[in-house]
Amino acid sequence: MPLLIIPVLVLIGVAVWVVMQYNFFVSTKARVKAAVQEIGNQLKRQADLIPNLEESAKGYLKHEKGIFKDLAEARKTIASAVKSGDVQKMSDAGSMVSALIPNIQAVFESNPEIKGSEVVGKLMDELRDTADKVMYSRRLVIDLTADYNVRRVSFPSNLVASMFGMGELAGIATPQSGEHVEVGTSDLKTPKVKLE
Amino acid sequence: MKNIYEVQAANRTKSAVVVVGFFVFFALVVWVLSSAMGYYFGYEPGGLGMVGIALILSGLMSLGGYYYSDKIVLSISNAKPADRSEHFDFYTSAENLAMAAGIPKPKLYVIDDSAPNAFATGRNPDKAVVVATTGLLQKLDRTELEGVIAHELTHIKNYDTRLMAVVAVLVGTVALLADWFFRVSYFGGGRRSRDKESGGLAALFIVLGIVFAILSPIIAQLIQLAISRRREFMADAGSVAITRQPSGLMSALEKISSDHEPLEAANKATAHLYIANPFKDKIGGAVGSFAKLFNTHPPVEERISELQKMM
Repeated sequence: MPLLIIPVLVLIGVAVWVVMQYNFFVSTKARVKAAVQEIGNQLKRQADLIPNLEESAKGYLKHEKGIFKDLAEARKTIASAVKSGDVQKMSDAGSMVSALIPNIQAVFESNPEIKGSEVVGKLMDELRDTADKVMYSRRLVIDLTADYNVRRVSFPSNLVASMFGMGELAGIATPQSGEHVEVGTSDLKTPKVKLE
Repeated sequence: MKNIYEVQAANRTKSAVVVVGFFVFFALVVWVLSSAMGYYFGYEPGGLGMVGIALILSGLMSLGGYYYSDKIVLSISNAKPADRSEHFDFYTSAENLAMAAGIPKPKLYVIDDSAPNAFATGRNPDKAVVVATTGLLQKLDRTELEGVIAHELTHIKNYDTRLMAVVAVLVGTVALLADWFFRVSYFGGGRRSRDKESGGLAALFIVLGIVFAILSPIIAQLIQLAISRRREFMADAGSVAITRQPSGLMSALEKISSDHEPLEAANKATAHLYIANPFKDKIGGAVGSFAKLFNTHPPVEERISELQKMM
């Protein structure tokens, strides 16, 4: 009888292992499904968030921008007035600048420190975070499908996979050939950053 | 040149070897010491009873530390919860990386200390805590911070707190057994002579017992430290697997190691939790390679060269 115990134990071990493999496949499938939903969730967040961020940043920047625009205008008028040598035009330009001064004062008084760079910096932080969130939610789908697909084809877990008909998961659908796996001449140039 | 999957697989194998080696060593020590004690008592299963008592005692000593690890560490280090707008990069990148790692977002805390460092604790991913110092948040940019946080999240995902707790219980058991062996040998001498047939074997076990009682507590601790260092390499590789940017963690490690300010909140009990050794003792040469055996973390240069292989 004790000899019989060994094959029985082996059989139990194999059965436990098969159950574990099966559970891995089905639970990973479920997790991939959830991870795909997470991408949608993050995209939705991004779609809701960015226009609002943009609006609030714009609101902050509007009065600063207005002042700078007015100042630029005034400078242009003065320059052209000086060039033309017309006294009337010069005095008009002068009064235009003096009319601006209370506006400038109002802006500086309401914001002792001009908040422009801080507001833009904050906007940039939020934009990077949002892009990261979408990227990382995709990363989870990629990682989970890779784990699943590797286990599906590698021995001996592939036996369990084929026994229960576990199909390959597509993950993030990406064409296997095309421009993104080729390096064109335009990619060899260093990108130029232009700030206008 | 190895890719990240090969590095992770190699790390997993090495870690498993060290951990299994530790358990084998533990079993050997238990067997020798319990047999030797059994011969002293003149009743062999008696030694095994001592092992049971030692396990339970050591377990009880570590249980509180394991079960309340998050709360204890937080109260020792005087940490405050992180705020999304105040610690924007810390909060949001932890949120993002937890999503990528497929674990719930850990609770985030900040310690007010200018030495840059971070650690993770908690017995499972649901109870996990990641703590960063204000120095770390100030000195690292977002990419570097992501490397550090992903390292901590890998510790959480790998249940490293749990593993180190189990190892600590066993190391404590070995220490207790060795201690008791010496005490027993003072009192239990009388009955040995009765058992004449196994006299040779008994003598052998008693000599072995003395050797083991002297050496095994030290060896157990060295293996415990080796496991801790192995898990650091695993967490580094796991960090790269999540962020895919070894450069971030590399420059973070450089910044952390070039900062020579010791962390005030750290103590010996929490040292193995940090991203880099909080005590910063650097010794070179032959003494250094011996001292390396007693470190909870591998040297930063070694970790960086491992990361370079994944670039």
